[in-house]
Amino acid sequence: MEQDAQLVQQCLQGDGSAWEELVRRHSRRIFNICYRFTGNRTESQDLSQDVFLRVYRTLGSYRSAHGGFATWMTSVTRNLLIDHYRRTKRDRVTDSLDDKMPVVENKESAGRRPDEQALLGELSGQVQSALTRLSPELREAVILRDLQQLEYSEIQQVLQVPEGTVKSRINRGRIELARILQQMGVRPS
Amino acid sequence: MNWTCEQTEARLSDYLDGLLQPVEQSAFNHHVNTCEKCAPLVAGVAHALGGLYALEPVEAPAQLEDAILTATLGAPSWRNLRRWLRSLQSPRFVYSMASVAATFLVILTASGFSFSKPKLADLRPATIYRNTNRQVHLVYAHSVKFVSDLRVVYEIQTRLNENDQNPPTREQSAPKNSPDKQPGRTDNTNPSAPKQQNRADEVGRNLRIFAAQFPVLNGSIGKRRTP
Repeated sequence: MEQDAQLVQQCLQGDGSAWEELVRRHSRRIFNICYRFTGNRTESQDLSQDVFLRVYRTLGSYRSAHGGFATWMTSVTRNLLIDHYRRTKRDRVTDSLDDKMPVVENKESAGRRPDEQALLGELSGQVQSALTRLSPELREAVILRDLQQLEYSEIQQVLQVPEGTVKSRINRGRIELARILQQMGVRPS
Repeated sequence: MNWTCEQTEARLSDYLDGLLQPVEQSAFNHHVNTCEKCAPLVAGVAHALGGLYALEPVEAPAQLEDAILTATLGAPSWRNLRRWLRSLQSPRFVYSMASVAATFLVILTASGFSFSKPKLADLRPATIYRNTNRQVHLVYAHSVKFVSDLRVVYEIQTRLNENDQNPPTREQSAPKNSPDKQPGRTDNTNPSAPKQQNRADEVGRNLRIFAAQFPVLNGSIGKRRTP
């Protein structure tokens, strides 16, 4: 945490190597958040790049007294993801209709296509698929809590909502995720 | 404690995170074990959570970091140039450059290079070497002469002090011809080397000049020195 704040200070003084170090330390985490939110590698790469570009431009507005640099960066990422979600909402209506078809086919043709079934049968792939079908506000809460392992207070800081709302969203997100997985035919053994 | 299905759904995350009080935990367990609606819900959510925890972190594309750095700091060549320029600001490099510049300045000055009217010919290595060599020899000669003059002055001062303390009589101060002594010599030494003889002659000459400039001393040094 302190090292991040120190690197930020060096960046603000024009030290390019400090910025390179910050990118090296956080690029993987930011990419993972983007990927879990969108489920698309290319989109995640573009979004991660946008996140770092925005962070680079607004680095002067970061105050270490208000929280850790990682939390601040996560907050920037979340805002960009929500913007991206709203921007591409229309495209996704068509995509979501297309997405539902393979799942139905999958359930109906479970015995006929074992290779495809095995591929889709992997729990991680199914969970990722289910995750992208959650509403954005539930999705971000679940990703931050269960994938990024953030504390409630940190999630509260990122989402800018009361802690009660954070807990409620995480709870509803998990229940909704279980329902989606059940709809996809994934049931606990 | 009475526990409802609504409570189970609302407190499900607290149950999974182990945040329920013992009494609540007990009531929760009792309700889930007896409720046909809540049992599959809890199992399903626990399964989903297990699936989330099982998700491995995804490796970022190899070119991501480079793309970010190019978008923020510029192309790799420009970044390298900036890094190199930044390294020039290190104190070690600055001191090195300052000492190199000072050395060049000293060499150019010693070679007689005119900074007001610089000529390209003066910067030729042969010219610099020749001029530097000449300057060094001149400085050396001046230094030798300066040291020599200092020695003469010191010798004169010593003699004057001796005379002040023990003023010589006319007989004592009168020169005596001696076959052992060579002209110009006041001590009992008999320098055999020509260099030493020359040096002694030079001292004698200087003493005579000094005596001429100070007529008061004519009686002591001048007469004694003049045969």
